[in-house]
Amino acid sequence: MTFLSCRFAIFCFKVASRRAAPSRSSSKRSSSSLSISWLSSPSRGTSVRKDDAPVSTGITASVPYVSRKGVSPVVECGVPMPAELREELMPKHVAVIMDGNRRWAKMRGLPPSEGHVALVPPLRMVVKLCLCWGIKVLTVFAFSTENLLRPKLEVDFLFSHFERTANSEIEAIMRERIKITVIGDTSKLPKSLQKTITIIEEKTKDNSRLHLIMAINYGGKYDIVQACKSVAKKVQDGIIHLEDINENIVEKELKTNCTELPYPDLLIRTSGELRVSNFLLWQLAYTEFFFHKKLWPDFGKDEFVEALKSFQQRQRRYGFLS
Amino acid sequence: MIGYLGLQLLWYFMQIIVSVWYHISIVGNMFESYFISYEVLNKYKSLHIGKLRYLAVVIESEEAHQTSKVIKLLQWLDSVGVKNVCLYDMNGVLKKSKDTIFQIMKNAKSIEEVNEDVTHHAPDHMTLEFVSYVDGKEAVAKAANLIFVENFKRHDIGGELDHQILLESHLNQALQIVGCKGPEPDLLLVYGPVRSHLGFPPWRIRYTEIVHMGSLNFMRYGSLIKAIYNFTKVRHNYGT
Repeated sequence: MTFLSCRFAIFCFKVASRRAAPSRSSSKRSSSSLSISWLSSPSRGTSVRKDDAPVSTGITASVPYVSRKGVSPVVECGVPMPAELREELMPKHVAVIMDGNRRWAKMRGLPPSEGHVALVPPLRMVVKLCLCWGIKVLTVFAFSTENLLRPKLEVDFLFSHFERTANSEIEAIMRERIKITVIGDTSKLPKSLQKTITIIEEKTKDNSRLHLIMAINYGGKYDIVQACKSVAKKVQDGIIHLEDINENIVEKELKTNCTELPYPDLLIRTSGELRVSNFLLWQLAYTEFFFHKKLWPDFGKDEFVEALKSFQQRQRRYGFLS
Repeated sequence: MIGYLGLQLLWYFMQIIVSVWYHISIVGNMFESYFISYEVLNKYKSLHIGKLRYLAVVIESEEAHQTSKVIKLLQWLDSVGVKNVCLYDMNGVLKKSKDTIFQIMKNAKSIEEVNEDVTHHAPDHMTLEFVSYVDGKEAVAKAANLIFVENFKRHDIGGELDHQILLESHLNQALQIVGCKGPEPDLLLVYGPVRSHLGFPPWRIRYTEIVHMGSLNFMRYGSLIKAIYNFTKVRHNYGT
């Protein structure tokens, strides 16, 4: 209550000061010179291991961030950042497990396919907010290796739905300069979907405003195994020696190494489940988890803001002993 | 101007309401925890612990130094019937406290001493596993290395390394050989200020339920029971 009294006092002070001085916000937007600043974004920090291993320093990725002086990207995008969020504390890489689509459909007496159709609008919304608020990488878990065990009809519908959505959204994707990468065992997908994926990846490879990574037929264990296979191939080809194999060598071969920021800062999972369900197992060591009860088709801007706000309030240690 | 002031006042009153509600819910949770501890709430009286075959506890390394609290937590778990526990902290602090813990937990054995599958052994003693960061990613790299070396030997000197032979099951076996014996935990409780598993072995958390319990300094028996109870009520689809 003391805190609230202070807030009320601050509010009264603000009102009094606003009456005394004109607004300065309009003058900031009059100039619009372009500047590029390099932000250091520790998507994986320093780990201090004191038991048997030496201290190793994690990778610090630098990502170019283009800003217009005096003009926030927020204003250009048209979705203002809520006052409770801070631009400098925004996560650089957000991962999402879009769970609850079938339950959503079941609750409404609809077939599961309707739930899968309903997953697109919230995804579109989250992509837009990432573009507006400076999140550089968004990884979404669209289809897991275990999902292949679902009824064939449902699986076939899902794949054709992915293909239709990709083809219909390509213009918007190019306009917004979104880079698309698909990670997972694509060899098991229908040929037409594989072709669509190849085309989209090729078309968008030079886009840089947001990197959207779609995990389709992906599993965390699959990713680790395929990374180890790639390492084995490199040993066979003489590129690396057996005795040089360590976790860093394995890490470089993971599918998520398609981005400079392979480690999510924040993982959001909807539908109230408290698991990662074989998603990005290796990459989630220091990721903050945010589990929300809402089903994915009901996930909106407010819920996304809630996740970001929760993330910004946390003290991330990356394994440091503080 | 009056309208603007009115809106601002309304905004602050709403914030007051939200803050009051937040504090009420904290107090409510605290009371619920005490009611659970004193068995006032009927639904928490009997836990179907059979579903929880293996429990992992992740403790932030700074808090892991509080050995007495860790022992208290283990005693609580023992009293509710949770017999297989994996203790993890990033920096291996708990590994160093192993002897102290076993001195006090006299009915506990180390997982290395237990030959059978721990999830099937008779519940007359606790099985404790101590894990740190080196048992995660580094262990996977060692296991992969082991597979490659074995492969080279099979194909003789200068032979071809059959990289297609590496499957999930091979990595599972190799991890056992390099010393990572524990199974995938059903439930993982995180004690500390962060809502992350702090590098718990990635190979083992595929379908593990992850619950953040707050700081070890403020751990409560009632919260522990509630977390276990909620886990026993969860239905797993495993992606199908």
